[in-house]
Amino acid sequence: MNALGDLGTELLALLTPAMIFHAAWSTLLGIIIGSLPGLTATMGVALMTTLTYSLDSTTAIMVLLCMYVGAIYGGSRSAILLNIPGTPASAATSLDGYPLAQQGRAGYAMGLATAGSMIGTLVGIILLVMIAPPLAEAALNFGSFEFFWLAVFGVVISGQLTADSTPIKGYIAGILGLMVAMVGSEGIHAHIRFNFGFSDLNGGIGLIPAMVGAFGFAEVLNAMWGRAGVLATAKDKSDRIIPHLADIWRYKVTSIRSGIIGTLVGIVPGVGEDIGAWASYVAARRTSKEADRYGKGSYEGLTAAETGNSAVVPGSLIPAITLAVPGSASSAVLIAALFIHGIRPGPLIMIEQPQFISSVAAMLIIATLFMGFYGLTLTRGFVQVLRVPYAYLMPVVFVLCVIGTYALSQRIFDIWVMVGFGLAGFVLRQMKYPMAPLVLGIILGDLLDKSLRRGLTLSDGDLTPFFTRPVSAAFVVLIAVSILANIGIVRRGVSRAFRRRGTENG
Amino acid sequence: MQMTLADRLTAIVLGALGFSMAVGGYRMDRLEFRQIHPASIPGLVPMILGVLMVVCALFLWREAVRAHDEDKILSDGSWTRLGLTAASCLIYALVLVGWLPFIWSTGLFVFAFTAIFGWPQMQETNARLKSLGGAAILAVFTALGTSILFAEVFLVRLP
Repeated sequence: MNALGDLGTELLALLTPAMIFHAAWSTLLGIIIGSLPGLTATMGVALMTTLTYSLDSTTAIMVLLCMYVGAIYGGSRSAILLNIPGTPASAATSLDGYPLAQQGRAGYAMGLATAGSMIGTLVGIILLVMIAPPLAEAALNFGSFEFFWLAVFGVVISGQLTADSTPIKGYIAGILGLMVAMVGSEGIHAHIRFNFGFSDLNGGIGLIPAMVGAFGFAEVLNAMWGRAGVLATAKDKSDRIIPHLADIWRYKVTSIRSGIIGTLVGIVPGVGEDIGAWASYVAARRTSKEADRYGKGSYEGLTAAETGNSAVVPGSLIPAITLAVPGSASSAVLIAALFIHGIRPGPLIMIEQPQFISSVAAMLIIATLFMGFYGLTLTRGFVQVLRVPYAYLMPVVFVLCVIGTYALSQRIFDIWVMVGFGLAGFVLRQMKYPMAPLVLGIILGDLLDKSLRRGLTLSDGDLTPFFTRPVSAAFVVLIAVSILANIGIVRRGVSRAFRRRGTENG
Repeated sequence: MQMTLADRLTAIVLGALGFSMAVGGYRMDRLEFRQIHPASIPGLVPMILGVLMVVCALFLWREAVRAHDEDKILSDGSWTRLGLTAASCLIYALVLVGWLPFIWSTGLFVFAFTAIFGWPQMQETNARLKSLGGAAILAVFTALGTSILFAEVFLVRLP
């Protein structure tokens, strides 16, 4: 009850004309960015971070959260109308959304997607308020040993779950991110590493230039490299956009289950909205009575995918706020933005700013309300947005990448970093290396480095506490199981052992 | 290029990178004159990461050798569009910004980019003039808009 009371208080405090104005424009901009193929939520949040330097911290966080929520939801527009997910998070949405649009029910599909996204975000917000405070309190007992394994766990699990073809590419991306984090002054003795004689590298490689490059410039190259989609040609025969309550009620179990799955996927470090959507979609299809309709325009499939990806947003904020470990690539940028605005995410957040979690939840509620409003009122208007040619859009995006990166420290060097990461990001993506572990590696590199060396100093070089303290031991088991599960010989051995046991028992 | 060949080449590059980092970490100053704990030397984590990268590169090489898929990389898009995009963006970011005032470099870049990619396929002069006019308007608005926003509102000293 106390958490809900705090949430109400924060919600009332945020309902000022200025905050409502900021929430209104940033959610709309987020939806537009998300709906345009080639512009992702992470890119939107990264570019928007560079535009919030002069805002006060509460307004800046509100703007960034609204942008994040809006962009993840906005991806469903192009998924439904173009069969091209506006963001990777909406890939599962296109499976049933596009067939519905082809059947002339694009408007209703977008209405249903809006309802699903709202339910998903609200389920995530409830879990955020319930889980984040106890998690932060538990994390207060973490020492260097636990933080070291937490960082390793984040990189390993993100590398494993986000890799497209083989987990080894995910691990490599994670290690590359950690290597990038090794450049510059280290956190214990202030010794400068790998600067190659360039004084600009003494401070390390900034997260914002790297992110803007990997998600901004790389996306520009990606969009110009690929081919544009074709709008669903069938005439829209929807007589309504607002979904029937009966349809929402019929899929209540799917919605709530997808919301919970999405939130839990969000909590796993660096995994992100696309996995949340796929996991929810697969779970819904497995348990559905209308599984044969999936992929052909199923309302349930569309609801599951949209609820799942939207629930990841609040879910990903749970570790981001309480442990400073991002649950998704976009929340990695949010962590950087929080530091820029003087907020220190991590276990101490409940001591330094106990109301912060309620405040974030209240901001997410406002963003959800605006998302629902725009989603149901501007449905047909978004079709026009999708007609903006890349020739007009991409140069503006790249200009923002350049000036936004420069504005943070006013160094030309940061523009070079952005360009370098953009080129590398494009090539790596073409070769099916996931970007999320790379970003997570850059963020967690410092924590991993400092925790390992501090832990070893505390134990006088003894490795035992890294394996014997309860939380550390749990992390070690999780990491070992997740890596071993990918090794063919181990997997085959385990399944043979289980089969043999089953035969003996049977 | 075949994905398997690309993976093998990447494995060699990553292996070399890992080896260099491990050697860099090993040879890094151990700060003995500051009497730090030997377990907290700055090169410890780079050494570990370097070794891990070499191991991953070996696994990547092994998977690439064993794989029989026909996946290709950089085969489903337009090289011309990619080349023109990369060239115009690199010239703008690495040459024009810092050499010309920001407002001019931005205007020039946006105009060139939009004119190149928005150039109509048909031979009609009217369509071409319309396209160039659109590019000019977007260039002026973007250059002025970003300059005013960052210089006047965010108080950034533009490059």
